[in-house]
Amino acid sequence: MLTSQLDHATRSDTDAQLESGGGHIVELPGESDWREARDAIAGAVQVDIRFPKFNDGRGFTLAAHLRERAGFKGHLRAVGALIPDQAQFLKRVGFDAVAPDRTDLAADWARAEARFSVVYQPALRGPLAVPAKRIESGADLAVLNARYSEADALDILRDAVTRTWRGRIALMSSFGAEAAVSLHLLARVDPSTPVLFLDTGRLFAQTEQYQRELTDKLGLTHIRILQPNTSEVSREDADGKLWSRDSDACCAMRKVQPLDGVIGDYDALITGRKRFHGGERMKLPVVERVNGTMRVNPLARWSAEEVQAYFRRYDLPRHPLTDMGYASIGCWTCTAPAHNDDVRSGRWVGQDKSECGIHRPLPVAAE
Amino acid sequence: MKTLTANRLTDGRVIYRTADGQWTTQLDEAQRLSPEEAAELLPVAEAEFGIAVGPYIIDLDEAGPAGQKWRRESIRLAGPTTGTTHVLGAA
Amino acid sequence: MYHYDEHDTTLVRERIEEFRDQIERRMDGRLSEAEFKPLRLMNGVYLQLHAYMLRVAIPYGSLRSEQMRVLAHLARTYDRGYGHFTTRQNIQYNWPALTDIPAMLEDLAAVEMHAIQTSGNCIRNVTADPFAGAARDELEDSRPWAEIIRQWSSLHPEFTFLPRKFKIAVNGAGEDRAGIRVHDIGLQIVQNAQGQVGFEVWVGGGQGRTPRLARKLKDFLEPQDLLSYLTAALRVYNAHGRRDNLYKARIKILVDALGIDGYAAEVAEEWSYIRDGELKLPAGEIARIRSFFSRPSISDPAPLPEAGPAAFRAWLDTNIRPHQIDGLSSAVISLKPIGGTPGDATAEQMDLIADMTERYGFGEVRVTPDQNLVLPHVRHEDLFPVWSALREAGLATANAGLASDIVACPGLDYCNLANARSIPVAQAISETLDAEGLAQAAGEVTIKISGCINACGHHHVAHIGVLGVDKRGEEFYQINLGGAFGEDAAIGEIVGKGLAADDVPPAIARILRAYLDFRDEDERFIDTLRRLGSDAFKEAIYADLAA
Repeated sequence: MLTSQLDHATRSDTDAQLESGGGHIVELPGESDWREARDAIAGAVQVDIRFPKFNDGRGFTLAAHLRERAGFKGHLRAVGALIPDQAQFLKRVGFDAVAPDRTDLAADWARAEARFSVVYQPALRGPLAVPAKRIESGADLAVLNARYSEADALDILRDAVTRTWRGRIALMSSFGAEAAVSLHLLARVDPSTPVLFLDTGRLFAQTEQYQRELTDKLGLTHIRILQPNTSEVSREDADGKLWSRDSDACCAMRKVQPLDGVIGDYDALITGRKRFHGGERMKLPVVERVNGTMRVNPLARWSAEEVQAYFRRYDLPRHPLTDMGYASIGCWTCTAPAHNDDVRSGRWVGQDKSECGIHRPLPVAAE
Repeated sequence: MKTLTANRLTDGRVIYRTADGQWTTQLDEAQRLSPEEAAELLPVAEAEFGIAVGPYIIDLDEAGPAGQKWRRESIRLAGPTTGTTHVLGAA
Repeated sequence: MYHYDEHDTTLVRERIEEFRDQIERRMDGRLSEAEFKPLRLMNGVYLQLHAYMLRVAIPYGSLRSEQMRVLAHLARTYDRGYGHFTTRQNIQYNWPALTDIPAMLEDLAAVEMHAIQTSGNCIRNVTADPFAGAARDELEDSRPWAEIIRQWSSLHPEFTFLPRKFKIAVNGAGEDRAGIRVHDIGLQIVQNAQGQVGFEVWVGGGQGRTPRLARKLKDFLEPQDLLSYLTAALRVYNAHGRRDNLYKARIKILVDALGIDGYAAEVAEEWSYIRDGELKLPAGEIARIRSFFSRPSISDPAPLPEAGPAAFRAWLDTNIRPHQIDGLSSAVISLKPIGGTPGDATAEQMDLIADMTERYGFGEVRVTPDQNLVLPHVRHEDLFPVWSALREAGLATANAGLASDIVACPGLDYCNLANARSIPVAQAISETLDAEGLAQAAGEVTIKISGCINACGHHHVAHIGVLGVDKRGEEFYQINLGGAFGEDAAIGEIVGKGLAADDVPPAIARILRAYLDFRDEDERFIDTLRRLGSDAFKEAIYADLAA
């Protein structure tokens, strides 16, 4: 709390008390350069910044500099011709106390200090800034999901790629069984959008072949192939059997970490996930946040039938393994044909595992 | 000849100082002052924080505002001249 | 269009309560006038010649129809039936009582509007291209960025008591319609060689008695760094801007003193420390704000009408601007009727415009730095009914961008700072040019009038600028030639001695006639002027005055 030290007698008592502990008090004019002030305040228990006029705002920036850049941790007090309307500003830039010239306005100071419950700027003290509050409460996701609630996949993609995250968005694709749909939609919007392709080193040869074929056919011009760190692979998986010993560790090394290495280049990633995939995906929102990055799932609401209809309508090539019963295709080590209507039932068969980890943790806000 | 003028705190309207220390919106009710009297009265008016904002001294003659600021003070007295273009040359 | 969430609403409500409290404290003496004045200015309240004036922010010039209706209501209830649109996308009411202003602010808050920081030595209402989200030459909509800046700058704890006012403009189109180079900071949205979109940053533009065109501060600023960079730029200014002389306190003077490289180095040093901190814009917040600014979509686009009355076709020629969506155009509503007060609209006109935006304009209307309004999205088949309704209300003057589309500050008719009148001069010029058919004949010409050296009428950046001065109680007007506002921004130069008010309209008519004589084929006025120099027009200005 900002304590108003309004009574001059009290003020000198407080000062004496502070100094009796061995420290000293330094007064700086508000116009001081913070670098020079840094030396002057070394060892001070309290720094007073003097405001020659209430509307000479240099003291605000000086205080911010002493706190943020000079690392001053001691007691910081504003003195001079200050007015109550400045109470919250003083507090937020780092002052602990104020000793205004006019000493009969304690009630006004107290009221002013409680005036605003909402602030837009991050600051040292005071309420959390509005942008951070919005992210914390998922307000951004709520607005975007509401906006996309009636939109079809192409409109969502067009908005995401050309407006909302323009230049800061990529599509993640496994080039698996259903991948042609989102890739084709993306090519209709902008074929130069980056496509992230996780080449785990354990992919089916058919997947690699399909990736080249689709890329060529759809005219995609920016495929970004992500591969695991070779030295880590030789260290952790010398025998190539890590997948059988610890599939989570294998996924982490071959998928999660390579993706983490580039994720900072984007504000949002588009995925082809759909609710009908089941499991955790049954509640998939169109827009979610995963570890701070937005995920856009334009096909979330699509059914298996719609996926198939889209393949037929645009005569899209199929992944060569789909004819052999594979409905969801990952690494050859951990993928089998699906054994029922559950399209992902062929992934990590026999394990209590349905996701590799690139889409975790669970969404922070539902649609 | 001088008088004191200001704007009224509550609504900003143009006001003039009267002989009995009140303020009026009517220039003809304003106290006519010598330069010395006006200079003496100004700090008194300035000290009355609750009614008049920014009191200052203006020149008057029989017809109304005079001196170098006659046009400004005439506009304060009578209102904007916009909407009529013939007043342009009224000097 | 942006809509407030509960945080935005709360802040505006709390600000009204604060202002109510400030008025009360002024009344009972807890605040002196010297203390109250900067506080009321920061909430848009001036004390003018006859009364208080309330300046209401129209952030980035964008209004919804229900907001326009409230502006009309305020004009009717608290003013004398009209409002005055300004060159910085605000509206001013000239007659409210101080004690009524909290009630006006309540009415505004109900439609997500306010008067926060429309004046004072703080970061002012941010301006943007009035055709944003519509203009065909647009790279990216500037309004989401202006909204982000609006929020960040509102009640900033560190930057509310700056050396002087601080104005920011954002432009996202090829043509600069926001005045990037005449703002303290101008942000031009650009695309770099890698195809990324970001900001080119300009600093230190401004008018007043030391006019300066902004200098380029940074070639490319990544969007997520916008607020940290602005913070660094403001910190250097707040700490080092001059406070000893009102006329040397703007950032342009600091940039002069340090040199652009010196200032840029200070900013870069500060920025290196804060750029990766909490000010980095969350992608979710950028996306959230962008998602409010959608474009209309239409089916069956129609071509521009070619038939119709001559007056309608003349209006199409001058007042229609190309749109990024086929079948739509933007329509300028001229607030410059011949002989009228530039920028004024009556309550009835505002209500009519609100009706029109609902029927024909997707609910949106814009305010331009030229003191006109714009219906940004009008279907081509609606242009005729729009024109007809506007004409009925006196709003269809076919002069957008012509010499009779004059910008003028309120001048000595209202303003406490003015030395000479502006509006009657503008009225007389437009009547003279219209009577002689010169506005139509001369094509694209800007005329801007300021009633004092503070240059609120932007006379420095007009093709023909008029500056009113006072000489021993008489009004004189200096003519400036060769200024320009947009991407070819330039400061005009004074040509000869001042003219009496009555001599201004004929002198300007002679300038335009001289241009018609001098021009090569389709050459614009400003190009002829640049080719020949202002001396070539000097004779025209002073002809007939010898006697």
